[in-house]
Amino acid sequence: MIFDANAFIGKWPYWPVRSAEASEVAKEMAGWQIDRAAICSLRSVFIHWEDGNREVEAAVKADPVHFTPFACLGTNELGQTASNCAYDFADYAVRGFRGVRLYPQHHSYHPLYEAFVDSILEDAAQRGWPVVLPLRLVMNWGVPSLNLGVIEGLVVRHPRVNWILAGINYLHELQLAVSLMRRYPSVHLETSCVMGFNAIAKTVQQCGAERLLFGSGAPIQNGAAALSKIVHAEISDADKDLILSGNFLRLLGEK
Amino acid sequence: MTVDAHVHIGKSTRLQIDADGAMLVRIADKLGIDRICCTDLTALLYDMHEGNRLLYEEMRKFPDRILGYASLHSTHFGQEAIDELRRCHDGYGMRGLKIYSEPGASIAEPAMIPILETCVELKMPILAHTTPQECEYMLSYVPEAHLIMAHGGGQPFAFGDWNRAIMAAQKYPNLYLDTTSSAIDTGYVEQCVAAVGAERVLFGTDTPLLEPWPQLVKIREARISEADRQLILGGNILRLMGVAA
Repeated sequence: MIFDANAFIGKWPYWPVRSAEASEVAKEMAGWQIDRAAICSLRSVFIHWEDGNREVEAAVKADPVHFTPFACLGTNELGQTASNCAYDFADYAVRGFRGVRLYPQHHSYHPLYEAFVDSILEDAAQRGWPVVLPLRLVMNWGVPSLNLGVIEGLVVRHPRVNWILAGINYLHELQLAVSLMRRYPSVHLETSCVMGFNAIAKTVQQCGAERLLFGSGAPIQNGAAALSKIVHAEISDADKDLILSGNFLRLLGEK
Repeated sequence: MTVDAHVHIGKSTRLQIDADGAMLVRIADKLGIDRICCTDLTALLYDMHEGNRLLYEEMRKFPDRILGYASLHSTHFGQEAIDELRRCHDGYGMRGLKIYSEPGASIAEPAMIPILETCVELKMPILAHTTPQECEYMLSYVPEAHLIMAHGGGQPFAFGDWNRAIMAAQKYPNLYLDTTSSAIDTGYVEQCVAAVGAERVLFGTDTPLLEPWPQLVKIREARISEADRQLILGGNILRLMGVAA
């Protein structure tokens, strides 16, 4: 089974992408032999996080076999008007969500300086929900990215969270992820943007296969190309199985 | 025949690379790549004479597998750079030029013009790590040059803007797009082919900086004709370098 830890539904505003609707994304996934994907909506990233979460909820209701919902949470500071910053995790659980994604680089907040982030992370840690923290949405040098120091700061402040670091490419970015994984057993690396030579095998050597999760960045990124890094990595078949689905299933409490 | 148009050989702490010809040929074998077009990192980043000589030695060890790009580490060496380019062509059998540009040392400047003119004379394509704007500058002065935009806009200094790269290639018929990139966007190859034709799209991997498999799979998986795929996977770079398949 291949379980994608980092896919999307919704429209990509930077350039034309041939799939946007959940049904189209499911069709792309099938073509790439991806069985299941954790999704959030690009509407959450670019327009309003809760509107996007409702889209995800509807998509998962329509196709629960292929999609697993992650809630995208952002700031409530809209129109410079402070409003209630409570995030009701119990309600998200009732609605079926299984984890959280944060996109501070798209939501105009600094995650180290805003209390609502700590509140979200404490709740996620308590529930054991994975939290996806992407350095960037997909591997493109023009999309907004997070400062590596901010990622480290959040992990150090909240080491009990089941972190999934996403959007990591190569060189110093990967080295920071490896360093955090070696220091904190709760830190995992999602592979959609990992592009360095032999990076999957090297990371497995340094941190163990249990810490990597296959992600595609689909449908913006090519799922077959994303998958090829794992399929052709010089690691054991057992390690590939862990990366392709086992680890994510374990994080979600399904294994 | 599959030919990788973008491979690095040699050492660089900055890029965390230490690769000789034997290692690169082993990698190519795993991917079913027949020939690799290499540029030496010492020549590209530090000492053109030393690095190009090192590449020549590796080419001699693997004459059927390694094609060489002469590399220049700067445009600012005047006649010395031109002489080196001729030496690489005439003496070493190198069939292209690789040159690197960055914001603090852009090659889109007057000193690059005689280098481009020499490449035209020697029929050497230029694989240039550049932005679309830099390519437009160079081709506005020497439109006869066959310029390959390394990474096709998908590199940090070009802000990953491959749409802009395609627009530049539409404007200049001798501008080619190298698909090597950290980006693996769905539909990218198809859009390049639709905009400028498969004859101006080249497959490369950036081995051993990047993992080569996604680079190959994005061409293999592209929704294009088999004839177009073969051009991208090798036909185009062999034609540009004047090398028989």
